Amino acid sequence: MFGRIAYMELRTGWKGLLIFGLLVIIVSAGMPLIFPTYRDALTEELEGANKVNLELPNEQGGMITLSWEPLDNATSYMVLEDNRLSMLTPIPKYNGTATSITFEKDFEEKRYYAVMAVLNETSDPDLIGIATTEKGADPFQELMQNPIYAGFTGGRNISMLEAKGFITLEFFSWWWMLSGLFIAYLSVSVIASDFENKRMDMMLSTPISRRRYLLEKFSAMSVIALFIVLLAIVGLSGGLAKINALNEFSIEAVFLSLIGCLPFLMVISAVGMVTAVLFQKVRVGMGITFAFVFAEFFLYTFGNFSKSLEWMKTISIFKYWDYSSVIIDDFFKAADFILLTILAIVLLIIGIWVFKKKDIPA
Amino acid sequence: MRKRCDAMDQEKVIEIKNLTKMYGNNVGVKNLDLTVYKGEIMGFLGPNGAGKTTTIRSCLALIAKTAGEITIFKLDSHRDAVAIRKKTGYLPGDFGLIPSVKVSSYLKYLLSLRECDSTKKMVSLADRLELDLNRKTNELSKGNKLKAGIVQALMADQDLIIMDEPTSGLDPLVKQEFYRILREEKKQGKTVFMSSHILADVEMVCDRVAIIRKGQLKVVEEIQALQEKTGKVLEVEFGDPVTIDEFKLKGVSDIQQDNGRLTLTIHENLDGVIGAVSNHRILNMNLKTYSLEQLFLKYYAEEEEQERGDA
Repeated sequence: MFGRIAYMELRTGWKGLLIFGLLVIIVSAGMPLIFPTYRDALTEELEGANKVNLELPNEQGGMITLSWEPLDNATSYMVLEDNRLSMLTPIPKYNGTATSITFEKDFEEKRYYAVMAVLNETSDPDLIGIATTEKGADPFQELMQNPIYAGFTGGRNISMLEAKGFITLEFFSWWWMLSGLFIAYLSVSVIASDFENKRMDMMLSTPISRRRYLLEKFSAMSVIALFIVLLAIVGLSGGLAKINALNEFSIEAVFLSLIGCLPFLMVISAVGMVTAVLFQKVRVGMGITFAFVFAEFFLYTFGNFSKSLEWMKTISIFKYWDYSSVIIDDFFKAADFILLTILAIVLLIIGIWVFKKKDIPA
Repeated sequence: MRKRCDAMDQEKVIEIKNLTKMYGNNVGVKNLDLTVYKGEIMGFLGPNGAGKTTTIRSCLALIAKTAGEITIFKLDSHRDAVAIRKKTGYLPGDFGLIPSVKVSSYLKYLLSLRECDSTKKMVSLADRLELDLNRKTNELSKGNKLKAGIVQALMADQDLIIMDEPTSGLDPLVKQEFYRILREEKKQGKTVFMSSHILADVEMVCDRVAIIRKGQLKVVEEIQALQEKTGKVLEVEFGDPVTIDEFKLKGVSDIQQDNGRLTLTIHENLDGVIGAVSNHRILNMNLKTYSLEQLFLKYYAEEEEQERGDA
């Protein structure tokens, strides 16, 4: 239901929308553009993994020897050890000028060693390479199995050396936050600010029902969501075309993966509207809606941690916008799309019901 | 007077029966009965916090009722709210405008929500109230914002005009023009229901007044009857000696003298009093309406006392 109220919303908000649209274009087009540079740097690092040599003992309890090629301008070397899959919180194992260390293998599990060259006091150390206690493994592939990343990939094996993988992990992991929080902010404020700035009395003294008011605000939000999604589609396809990656990452995939987030955004918008009519305060509504978005995200992430936590995923809206399924597996989950759309409509009906019950504060 | 009342009986525009609105444990209004007839200007008087705004906003279904019934144009205020609002203009007591648009754009927007295409009345009202339609809404002063509110309440040619404190903050000259506009509306058969906390503001234009205090309706009276009852306070400063006896005329009470200054209350026979005053040299003269508080103290204190006794 798009009428004069929705139109007025767009008319008064177009400046902000334009600035945000510019940001969407810059990031969605810029992300593919930096991919070649990223791929080259990653390739170099992966090759660097071979620059560190790890000798394993034949029997349990023997000695491990770790050696690496010296770097000309290095003042000392650092070795970090990690026995976890994450490689995010390594323990310092060695710090000195020698180019090899030997230590006892008194553990069973797989461990990782990262060797860094310290150049001077002020700059960060350079990575010389990574070695693991199991031969033939690709540490970066394993990194992708980290639950934090798996949260974005749905547990899929994703290569960061391909545009597909890079976009899935880098672009979409901020896109949900950027677009989701933008819509959450707008949806709460277009309604709650009418309360706070005492515009509701005058609005609702015209022959506009509360239902129509809410529906029109919602339709304005739908148009805005469609607008930023279309901008992202244009930006992303443009960027991919520029780096000649459209053969591996089709326009169709760009389109479906981003269109898939529309009902996702509309659910967030409807939650924002329910909180706005319930609490009638911009700050309160915003706090709750933002908390909702992040809570849903964490539910999905935790759901990926283990099988026993999988139920958490099913109550997260992130599960029903599976962009990596479109990008990696070439499969658009239409049923999920419809499910989220129905959820948005149900939430909107709840919002109308709440709004009808509430007094307008004087 | 009586004749007009009979005619009004034929058509009730607003009929409030036994309205109660509670805010938690606090009383907004309690058991309020009030009827506004077609073609009259009804003043709704009461001190701040008496329940005027609560009553008005209940009529417009902006708040839910705790109990009671409100019928407007023979329709239920809450069930048929949208149908009622088609024929009703409303000025809220406190309101904001959409910022950063021209006043004319904003008013046209509200007109369009009322599905009214003609901007003729809007332009003429703005002109008469000296409201610049080309200003941006966020640049308006408090008085000009109120004018914009008044214009929007009247511009779509509504049959019923409900206004919450339309006169507080208007310049005296603009106020006079506003009264003229209301009288014209009335002549066209429109009904006006407006609240105020200042008696002087409503007596200029209203046919009847309803007085509310602490959530309860105290008085509903024709304005003339109320004026006769309360009277006006005349203060005169004379340049020559006067005696109190000269002013002991019909319809005069509470005569007080302090040197050359004389204070008295006139209920009727205004020309007689002025005649007596003009026998002397007048240095200064001031005719005042009782304030609502004075009115209560003087005429309804008894009832208050009784209530206090009951409590």
